[in-house]
Amino acid sequence: MVNLPRRLFQPPWEFRESSLFTAVAVIAGFIMQYAASGRGVPQTHLPYNALFLALFAVTVISAGVAFRDRSFAKWLGGIPLGLCLIFAIALLSLIGGVVPQTAVEAGSLPAMLGLNQIFSSWPFALTILLFLGNLGLSLSWRLVPFKLQNLQFILFHAGFWIALSCGIFGAPDLQRLVMKVDEGRESNLGYSMESEAPLQLPFSVFLHHFSLEEYPPQLFLFDPQSGQPLEELSKATTLVKKGVKASWKGVDVEVLDFIPYALEGKNGIPEAADRTAGIAFAKVRITSKAAPVEGWISTGSPMLKPYALPCGKLILLMTQGSPKAFLSEVTVHNQEGLSTKATLEVNHPITFAGWKLYQMGYDKNAGRWSQYSIIEVIHDPWLPAVYLGFFMIMAGNLLFFWNGIKQKEVKS
Amino acid sequence: MKFDFNTAALLAILFWATGSLLTLIALKVPALKLPARLLTIAGTVVVFCFITSYWILLDRPPLRTLGETRLWYAALIPLVGFLVEYRWKIGWLKFALMAFAGFFLVINMLHPEVFDKTLMPALQSPWFIPHVVVYLVGYVLLFASSVMAWYNVSLQLWHNKNDRAESVSHYLALLGFVLLSFGLIFGALWAKEAWGHYWTWDPKETWAFLTWLAYLGYLHAWRYKIDRAKLQWYLALSFVVLLVCWFGVNYLPSAANSVHTYSQS
Repeated sequence: MVNLPRRLFQPPWEFRESSLFTAVAVIAGFIMQYAASGRGVPQTHLPYNALFLALFAVTVISAGVAFRDRSFAKWLGGIPLGLCLIFAIALLSLIGGVVPQTAVEAGSLPAMLGLNQIFSSWPFALTILLFLGNLGLSLSWRLVPFKLQNLQFILFHAGFWIALSCGIFGAPDLQRLVMKVDEGRESNLGYSMESEAPLQLPFSVFLHHFSLEEYPPQLFLFDPQSGQPLEELSKATTLVKKGVKASWKGVDVEVLDFIPYALEGKNGIPEAADRTAGIAFAKVRITSKAAPVEGWISTGSPMLKPYALPCGKLILLMTQGSPKAFLSEVTVHNQEGLSTKATLEVNHPITFAGWKLYQMGYDKNAGRWSQYSIIEVIHDPWLPAVYLGFFMIMAGNLLFFWNGIKQKEVKS
Repeated sequence: MKFDFNTAALLAILFWATGSLLTLIALKVPALKLPARLLTIAGTVVVFCFITSYWILLDRPPLRTLGETRLWYAALIPLVGFLVEYRWKIGWLKFALMAFAGFFLVINMLHPEVFDKTLMPALQSPWFIPHVVVYLVGYVLLFASSVMAWYNVSLQLWHNKNDRAESVSHYLALLGFVLLSFGLIFGALWAKEAWGHYWTWDPKETWAFLTWLAYLGYLHAWRYKIDRAKLQWYLALSFVVLLVCWFGVNYLPSAANSVHTYSQS
């Protein structure tokens, strides 16, 4: 096909017009952000954001169907503009992926342009809105009239439209709060990043018990001069149990005995104790150039000091194992009389009256003796819509994958 | 059992190297074709066996550290080469991919990692393996696609062209994109269960999204019938974004608070 070079804005519009349009939109966004002194897009809550989104969706789809033959509409919903907008979103995300998204000095240029909160900035919002328009138009042409062969297109594009729009428009309705509940006590106060004052939650949490399970303790040969532990010859960190051996350059250690929960008894010999009071003790033999040394070492706790063994200029230590699991036994109830007893654990949140409760943390200094539990509570009314979008994308992708394999060769 | 990574790695590299050599000799002596193929496959089997024994020894999936993911790449990348040969009858790609796999194993030999059995509670999830494995396979396919694209680009520089090679890089990118999408969504669904929200613009998430956008852009450009030869450049360079996402993120100023930085210990 031989064409005379097309002049700018001579139809049909393509990449030059699209990139110009996208660039103007992004620059306009930055100007708006600057004019608003760095304040991002105003937060709109339910039901107004949902209304706006519904109105926007209906407008885009009906405009697409009504003006499907106009070349301007074709351009607005076409691939060249879509590609330029994808590129713009990528570029803005790149800023977000490189510039730390944390508070900076107010009035500085990054703050005024919203570079440190790019994902709630005007340029990002404008680009996303235009992108949703572009995506919506192209979708309207495949939706009406509906054909089964367009199913993969519809699932993927509509899924992306729903997930992206609901995720972004619904963000102001997301409530994330943190509760600190003491053992044997009840609380209904949630703290957020935004304000100092706690927020009264529509439910309260009673903490029966917090417990933490650890991996076995670890052995370290510590050099007080450098302040660093030495590396084991096996390049491994040895988890302590009876019979285990560990070697460093010139030093061999064998664990002769191990008691996971014990207290110091008479003559310095530890005696097994219950889990709440006891700490880990190990009897070790150190063999080095000097005469072999045998003795007990322990991990210590907030109440008990640890025991270590000297080995020449070095010190053999046993440190508490890293946390393997931690959980809170709680009862959650509200004014309406709804009540649930449950165990909160990392990766196992519970749902209560539209809220999700997560095991978040505990008193790190006290470890397994922590007297309180930190619980995150989250309310996100838009989640089902976003998930619907996710599952549509996955379904569309499965079809895409299937068709991709089925197709024999690319016709070039 | 005292396992030894260096032995396994050297054995795998030896199998791949002699297998490759025999494949070349087999061009003259067809009888060597089968042993050559078996040897190259044996190299991959060795790596898989090592991963299995390491998994059992660690008592957790070896998917936590950067070095552990390199092991998986070393096992999976040659498979893509074998697949491409089987499906599109392009034989040379597997040599390049075996060389890269060997390179990954050598990196692991030079930088042995401290072997650590512990796994923090957030990673103890049924989503952990699907999320990481889907991404691994996706990255492997896109890596192979990029190697193919570089080959096409270099052909173009010599004013040459191979339509079949161009379609291979395209299909690998297509399959890779599908897996990236699944990885992204699996990650989101897992994040909701473990960290409370499906999307927090964590730097790794942002870069994964960027990578996804890059390939989304490619598929649309391809669809719009932009000169396919030029798109080979696009594919060849897209992998750079993916590389930043894979291990570059750890070095970015924005990554200080990421939940995704591979543990260094």
